[in-house]
Order: sequence, then C-alpha cells, then structure tokens
Amino acid sequence: MMNRLAVAVALAGLGTLPANAQTAGDPIRPLVILAQPQAAAPQEYQAAEMVAEAWKSLGLRVTVRPLPGQQFNQIVWFERQRWDTTTWQMVGRAERSDPDELTYNLFVSANIANGYNLVGLNSPAYDKLAQAQREELDLTKRQGLIHEIQEVINQEQPYGFMVHPKNLVAYNKAVWDESSMVDQAGIGIRNFWTWIALKPKGAQKDVILNSVAPPTNLSPFNIPGAQGSWATELVWDRLMRIGPDGLPRPWAAESVTRPTPTIVDVVLKSGMKWHDGKPVTIEDAVFSLEAPGYADKSPMYRPFVGNIEKVETTGPMSLRITLKRPDAAFLVSSLSKLNLAPKHIWAPIFENLKGKPETAESVMEQPVPIGSGPFKFVSVKLTEQIVLEANPDHWAKPSVNRWIMRIAPNIEATLGALKSGEINFLTDYTGDPELLANLPKSSPNIALSSSLDIGFKFIAYNERRPPFNDVAFRRSISAAIDREALAADAFGGAAVPANSWVSPALAFWAAPGIDKKVPGGTLEAAKKMLKDAGYVLVGDRLHYPAGVKETTPVFQ
Amino acid sequence: MWRSFLSFLRDPFAAVGASIYAVIVVVALLADRLAPYEPKAILKVGARVARYLPITSANWLGTTASGRDVLSQLIYGTRSALAVGLTAALAVVAIGTLLGLLSGYLGGWVDRVVSWFADIVLGLPFLPFMLVLAALTQPGTGVVIFSVATLLWPNTARVIRAQVLSLRERAWVEAARVTGCSTPRIMFVHILPQVLPLAALYGSVAIGWAILAEASASFLGFGDPNTISWGVMLQEAYANQALSRGAWTWFAPPGAAIMAMVLAGFLISRGSEKLLFPKLADG
Amino acid sequence: MARHLLGRLGHLLLVLWVVSGLTFVLFRLMPGDPTLNFISPTFSEETRAALLKSFGLDRSIWQQYLSWMGNLLQGELGQSFLQGKKVSVLLAEALPNTVILTLVSLCAAYAFGIVAGAFLAFRRGGVVEAMAIPSALATRAAPEFWLGMLLLAALAFQAGWFPTGGALSPGEQPGTIGAMLISRDYWWHLALPALTLMLYLQGLPLLLMRATMLEVLNDEFIVMARMKGLSRWSIVMRHAARNALLPVVTAFALGLGASMGGNVVVETVFAWPGVGRLLVQAVQSADYPLAQGAFLLIAAVLVTMNSLADLAYAALDPRVAIGMKR
Repeated sequence: MMNRLAVAVALAGLGTLPANAQTAGDPIRPLVILAQPQAAAPQEYQAAEMVAEAWKSLGLRVTVRPLPGQQFNQIVWFERQRWDTTTWQMVGRAERSDPDELTYNLFVSANIANGYNLVGLNSPAYDKLAQAQREELDLTKRQGLIHEIQEVINQEQPYGFMVHPKNLVAYNKAVWDESSMVDQAGIGIRNFWTWIALKPKGAQKDVILNSVAPPTNLSPFNIPGAQGSWATELVWDRLMRIGPDGLPRPWAAESVTRPTPTIVDVVLKSGMKWHDGKPVTIEDAVFSLEAPGYADKSPMYRPFVGNIEKVETTGPMSLRITLKRPDAAFLVSSLSKLNLAPKHIWAPIFENLKGKPETAESVMEQPVPIGSGPFKFVSVKLTEQIVLEANPDHWAKPSVNRWIMRIAPNIEATLGALKSGEINFLTDYTGDPELLANLPKSSPNIALSSSLDIGFKFIAYNERRPPFNDVAFRRSISAAIDREALAADAFGGAAVPANSWVSPALAFWAAPGIDKKVPGGTLEAAKKMLKDAGYVLVGDRLHYPAGVKETTPVFQ
Repeated sequence: MWRSFLSFLRDPFAAVGASIYAVIVVVALLADRLAPYEPKAILKVGARVARYLPITSANWLGTTASGRDVLSQLIYGTRSALAVGLTAALAVVAIGTLLGLLSGYLGGWVDRVVSWFADIVLGLPFLPFMLVLAALTQPGTGVVIFSVATLLWPNTARVIRAQVLSLRERAWVEAARVTGCSTPRIMFVHILPQVLPLAALYGSVAIGWAILAEASASFLGFGDPNTISWGVMLQEAYANQALSRGAWTWFAPPGAAIMAMVLAGFLISRGSEKLLFPKLADG
Repeated sequence: MARHLLGRLGHLLLVLWVVSGLTFVLFRLMPGDPTLNFISPTFSEETRAALLKSFGLDRSIWQQYLSWMGNLLQGELGQSFLQGKKVSVLLAEALPNTVILTLVSLCAAYAFGIVAGAFLAFRRGGVVEAMAIPSALATRAAPEFWLGMLLLAALAFQAGWFPTGGALSPGEQPGTIGAMLISRDYWWHLALPALTLMLYLQGLPLLLMRATMLEVLNDEFIVMARMKGLSRWSIVMRHAARNALLPVVTAFALGLGASMGGNVVVETVFAWPGVGRLLVQAVQSADYPLAQGAFLLIAAVLVTMNSLADLAYAALDPRVAIGMKR
C-alpha cells in the first residue's frame, strides 16, 4: 500500500514532464512466470508462454520457469516474497457452488500472510464487501454485493484471469447407461450423484476411472487434492451435500433448519452405521463439527469451523450449532464440507497427536480408513489405485459393485486405456481437448460430456514485489492478455475467457459480461495505459517511471 | 597412433560416423541461416496459433502443439547437442586422461587412490544421481554436464592407464628418463600425445552418452525448458500427446537425430570393439 | 580364493559405506535451507521447528550422521511425505517389479544376443554383418524412452495388442509376489517395457559374443582342434562358446546392476511401478526421504552387482591371476 502511494506521489510530481529516455527510471528487471512443467500441465504451460509473448511486446523481459510440483507449491505458498507471477488455478468443487468460499478467501487481507491471498492484495473496500456478502441472508441483496465485489477486483486486477475451463469427461456407453448420468451444475457428470446413481448395462459393474495425480493422505480431516476428494466424499458422509442443482440439501441429516441467522438445528438420520459396524451417534456428529477446531491439527478444515461458537446435543439424534456471526454460506461451505468421522477412532488419534508436530491431515488409519458413506475402502495405494466397494447397508446404496480409481500421470496411456476398455470413465483429462473431442468418431462406444467448470485458471501477480504493487501496471499487463486466444489455442477451445473468480456456470452469481470489462482490454490500450502511468520505453525495454529504482531481485 | 587413427577413417563405419559429425557441425554453424523460422517463434494462421500444421512447403516437418516450426527446432537442436556433447566429452576426457596418466605412470599410492575413486564413482547409478542432483540444485544442462563429467571418467581412465603402463616400459621413455627429463615432462610431453588419439575415441563415445543423458533428463522434466534441444523437443511432443495425434514428423526426427549422433560416436570408436567395453577388456 | 572373496566383501562394504555417506552429504549440504528438504511444506512454522528438533537437525552434522547411519543399518529410511508410509515399505513393494522387469529383459536380451552374436561370428562379411552390426549399435544409441514411445505408439495405441501402462489391470490384486508371477495379466503388462529394455540391452551381448567368439576361434587350441578333424559345430559347442561366454557372463552381472538404475526412464514411459519410477515421482514431488531411499537402494544393487561381476570373472577364468587384477 505504501509502495503504491509512493509511486502515485512520484507520478503526480512528474506528471507534467514529457515521457522520454531522460525521465525514465530504472529498467524493469526480467520478470518470471512460474508454471508447472509442460509434462504436468501442457495447456497452462502454453498459456504462460502466450502471456509471456504478449508481455514481451510491451517491452518487458519475461521468461516462463517451470518448477516441479512440490517445489512449485512450496515457493508459491510459503516463499511469498520470492516470486513475480505464477500460473495457478482454483478447481471447481461442489462446495464452491456458493461463491462465498472463494470470495471470502482469495483476497481478504487477513489471508495475506499464509492464507489464500497469495498475491497479497490489500483492499479495504474488498474486505468490507466480502464480510457483508457473508452476513447478508437476503439472496437478491447478496447477489448485488457479489456483483459489486467482482467489479472491485476488476478494477484492482490482482490476477490476470485467464479462463474458466470446461470439464471434459468421457465414458464407455457400452458399459454405462447414459440416462443414469447426473449432470451437476458447474461440475459436470463426474460427481457424487453420478457415482451413486450409475446403472451398469451389462456384466461390467465396476466403475474404473482415472486420476493423473496421486491424492495426498486420505484422512477425513485432510482435503486430498481434487481427485482424492472424489474418493473421500464417497466414503465419509456429510450432514448436507450440494445437490445436482448446486444447492445444499440434507444428506446424513434428516433435517437442517435455521430458526435465527446464528442458529442451525440439525436432526441426524437414524440407523446409520460406520463401516466397522458400529452405529453413527449424535456424539460422532458433534465430534466431527468440533474436531477440526482442535489445536492446529487440521489446518485445511479449521477455517470451516471458525465461525462455530458451540455445538450441543438437543436430543438423542439432534444437535444445535450456534454461530458467532450470521453466515449466509454456512450450509454450503461448512455443513456440506465437513466429513462425519467416527469418534471412537479419531478421538484417541487426536489425543495422541497432542504435543506432536504431525497434524490429523497426515494420519492414515490402517489398514483402511473407516467412514459411513455409500462406498467403503477396500485398498489404497496412493500412487497406483484406490479401490472402493459399494456399502450395501447404506440408504443410498449404489448400483455399481466397485469404484476403482487408477492413478497414472501418463495421459497418453490413460487415453489408450479408455479406448481399450481398461478404464470406463475418463474423469481426469489434462491432455489436448481436440484429441478427446475426436475420440467418439473413432471409438463409437465412447461418449463425451462437456460442461463449464466452477473453477478458473489465472496468473497471479505478486503485489509484494514492484512493479506489481502499481495498479496501473497490473491493469496494463492484464489488458495485454488475449483471453479469447488463450481459450481457443492454449486450452484447445475447452474453456471460456475469464475475468472473475465467479464462473458463468454459477449464472446467478456471475457478474454479467465481466469478461469483456478488463480495463483497457487490448494490447494497444495496454501500451497507452503504461505510457500514461509514466512507464517509459527506452529502445525496446520498458522502464519504471522517472525516479523509481529497481530494488527487487530477479527470481532465481 | 595418429596413423592408426586415420586408418579408422578408412573403415567404412568410421567414415560414416565422421560424416555424421561433419553434417551436424555444419548445420550447427549455419543454424540461423538454415532454419526457416526463429525456433521459439509462435507461428500464427490469422489470429490463431498455427498448431499441428501438417507437412507443407512452408513447414517441412509441420509445427508443434504450440505453433512452432519443428524443422527449425531440429536444426537449432544441433547447437545444444554439440554444446552439451562437446563440453561433457571434453570434461570426461580431460579428467579420465589425467587420472589415467597419473595412475599408470606413477603407480603406487596414486594408482590405488585413483582406482578407489573409480570404484566409488562406478557405484553411483548415473541417471538417478543426475535426477537427484537436478532436484536438489536447479534443473538444466549444467547438472547434465557435471554428472557426465564426474561419473563417466573411470572408463577412459582405465584404458589410458593400461596404455600408459605399456608405454612407460618402451625404450624411448627409458631413454628420456636417462637423459634427465623430469617426470612431469615425460608424462605430459612424451606420453600424453601418444594416448590422446585413444582419449579422443573415448571422447566421441562420451559425446553420445552426454546427449543421451541430456535427453533422458529432459524427458523426465529435469532439462532446461528454455533451451532448444532434441531432448526437450521429445518431452514436449510426449507431453502434448503427439503420439495420439500421429504427429510422427514431430517426435520421430529428434529421436532419430539423437540416435544418429550417438551412433556416430560408436561407429568411430568401433575400430576396436573393446573400446566400447573397456571394463571387460581391461578386466 | 577364500581370501579374495573376503577381500572383495570388505571392498564392497567399503564402497557401500562411502556411497551412503555421499548420499547423506548430497541430501544435506545442498545450497539453501536443508530442512526444507525434509519437512513437508504443508506444515506450519511451529510444526517445522518441532520437526527440526525431532529430526535432530539442530544438532551437529556428525551427530546427525551417526543417528542417520544407525537408522540406515536397521533399514529405517524415514517416512514418505507424499504417501505417508514408511520408505522401506514402499521400496519393498516396488523392488520386485523392478527386479522382475530387469531380469526378464536382461535374460531375453542375453539369450538373443548370445545366439545372434555367435551366429554373426561365423557369418563374417556379407550383407548380414553389414546390416546387423550397425543395427545392434543403433538400438544402443537410441534413447530408451524413445524406443518405448515408438513401441507404445505402434503396438499399444495403434494395434491395441498390449496395455498402455501399469503392472496390472484395474481391480486385479494378486496378494503375493508368487500370485503376481503366475498372473497372465502381469506378464501381459510386462511385455512392452521388457521388450523395450531388451531391444536396448541386446546390442552389448551380441557384439561382445561376436567379438570374443572371433578371438577364441583364432586361438591356438581351436586351430589344433580343427586340425584334429573335429566338426565345426562340436568345436563351437565344446570349446569356443564356453570360452567366449566368460566376458558375457561378467557383462550380465554388470548389466543387472547398471540397468536397475537405467530402468528409470522405461519405468516412467510405461508407468511400471518399480523403484525407478518411485524415484522419479519422489524427486518430482520433492519427497526427499523417499528419493534418498530409492537412490540408496539402486546404488546398493549397482555396487553389489559390480562386485559379483568381479567375482564371476575371477571364478570363471582360471587364467586371471587374482593378484594382477585391479
């Protein structure tokens, strides 16, 4: 903030001077776009290369630097002073069907140090609106707030939003009844509801799907990556679930009512059993709502219970949650997200974790974890495959026998496996969309489903490091990005241009036409905006406005 | 020795090998004139990126998934191949020859120390070593060259040592010793030139190993993505599913180019097949 | 001989010790904060500090080394970040796959190479030799993963004769190694990676067999035998081949050690769940305990095989005076 002020003051003072080489500041250092390696994410990599090309034509020196997976995460999340820009994505999850989770987490100043606000945007206007929308229980008013806050971010341009991807899912229609697929808003047919509704056509009753990345640990208190979540949400029940319509509905709860804005009453379904045969009790439910808040043992789930004042039982099968503040999205972002975990297994584990550095996220029950959901674990090999089998005692007993997730990073091999019938559901496809689109022509058994995702892909600008602290600079480099070209070429048409974190898949919440409203909006406008803000082209090299020194080290 | 080196070239295999090298050197020198495009330029058709163009008169080998000319990349790849290959081979030959010379001529504890080092180095698995090093430092060609240099010298050293052992007993070395030449002088002025051709042959094989090493490292994602090399091309093709596309013109040529260049080294050194298998020949 | 054996064993242990020491240094003395290499990035600051202590990283490097070595000797290699399992358990799961892949392809390569090499030694000159030698050299010159890509494209994607990766079809879960070995599915998956490795590996035994056969055929005792009027075939079987096999057997042992390390790329191309792929995954995801364990295991196999090759050479060839060897 101070930096931006300093720049503004400097600009005000020098505004009357003609912009030429004599009044230029230091040349802007070579900038680096971090990305995952091409092998891991070829489309993002190509997008980063195209963005680099565009920025080069503004007079910047730009390189794309691929970093292997964990190192990439490590630097972006934990060494926030270090990088200039990075490609990143927020994946679509059912719980993100309500814009609150992303809206509240992405840019609030409280998350600058180690939360989701990895770019370090500090906007009081944003903070205020983010809190207001959360407390607004009137749907229309909240919609207005969500639209307004998207415009705030449009002006700030903390990210170069790139695209909202389309989910491409292919399956073998000789094996699966097409009419049994459930299309969930913003998610597509690869979702919880499809897995429990899927009807086999013939003898093959095992869903065999793929994942290109190994999940992290499968614990009810860990979010094991996008793909791992597909398995965990089948094994652990939740009090509510996001329905195919995108709205929360009671699941393990018989009913959920909100007598006042800060009170939630839950009646638990009766007759549920854990996979080890023990009954699911109201104490288990209370435990599951409280445990993520114990000490610092579940960093990922902790924020979702942060607003809970207390949980108390009100009957043999009922409980009451009291909230600290009204929370519009509580049913979506908390009750539909928290897993019901067996107290008889996890209470001793939490006890045991006291005073130790490990968290509940990294604990894995042996031989396999126990839940109460419609599927139960048979075997888990995190880099090979996860095998679940239908739980015949569950009220929502699936029609399939087993649910097998094959984990193989090799997308070529996976595509071949789909053709040969080795897998019958292609659920995780990071490859070339055109190849997949052509598949039904050569393999008539393959059906393809495409739907716009809740998630989005972007380039984050690190506002801790000049020149990204200057909003004019951010707007200019955002304007230089040709989103249509990214969607069509880098993402092979399987994406739509983005300029907000709220996907058009969430039609009610997305600000209409926001993707066309990027300030400036073209490469030519970007050049002019830079010039107007005092940046100077010396030869073909962009320099800071007069008097500004380059003091930030080049990313190494 | 030099004469026998020349006689290798009369061997048809060796001649083929030498011509392959010659072609690659010429292409590398003239790369900027031969290549029809900037190898990194993203070509466009209208406003769209020219992805996967087939073979045309404008793009003889078509384009890549990111709209770059394959032929231009292949041509520029010779530079990286030569740079990596020659640097690494030079390092291997220099280290191997020096240590072979020292241990062969001086014998005694020097010999034992060198042989001990060789045993240790032979106990480090090459590719895994390179991967771990790349992961712990920074991926790129530096790691490839360093790994080749530090791990592949023992073969050269052993052969040079055997050669030096026989040379030091020759009458003219004895004569030099009697006339009062210093030990370094005998080693570096009298003996070294005699073993250099042999070392050069080892160098030609080492060029091949270095290029294979670079290709493997790149394929596994530990190369330098901002250079244009055949290994990086293969990795890009693989990552972008050129196989499924049937884009043979993209992924076949770089592999064939690597094979040709490595093969050239083998062919040249084939004058004595034992050269390829020194550990066995030397026991 | 017994003394030589003991000497070799001592030497083997020494090399193993030094290689393990190098590994220790490699993983700790790299530039940057070494603790980052051992602590999962999902941990909080306090957690890191506590872990630092529990790892002993606040102690001197020598104390660290002693406890590390103590753990290593008990087979204790730590916990994988990525998979939350013991490194030793993960390695034990992957090792059989690598050993089977290596042994099968190496045996196939040597069987083919020995026969073809012996054949070529007889058919000197002519088109066969002019074609065979460069082809053998070429398979060795081609990048292994490229050979694998070509085979995969042609035989798995195009023709659909083989699966496209992995060791077992989904859902197949033989409980033991024995059950795995008699499973048809396993061998079906093994075919392409083994073929790739075999293609790559056969050049060496072929050329070696041919070269030593030529040498042996010119030896005096063969010439004598021929003069005695023994048939060509019986000379080959009874004298030449036996002598020519010696360096080939040695090369086999060396090859076993070397290709365990070289399998890394082939296992990656075919998603074969072996130690090499484990190493690549570990290195790519900065799972340092696992990477260190896999590296040590591969190095240990390599060193052991080098020693066995030396022993085999000494045992098989009485002409080798043990004292003369390096």
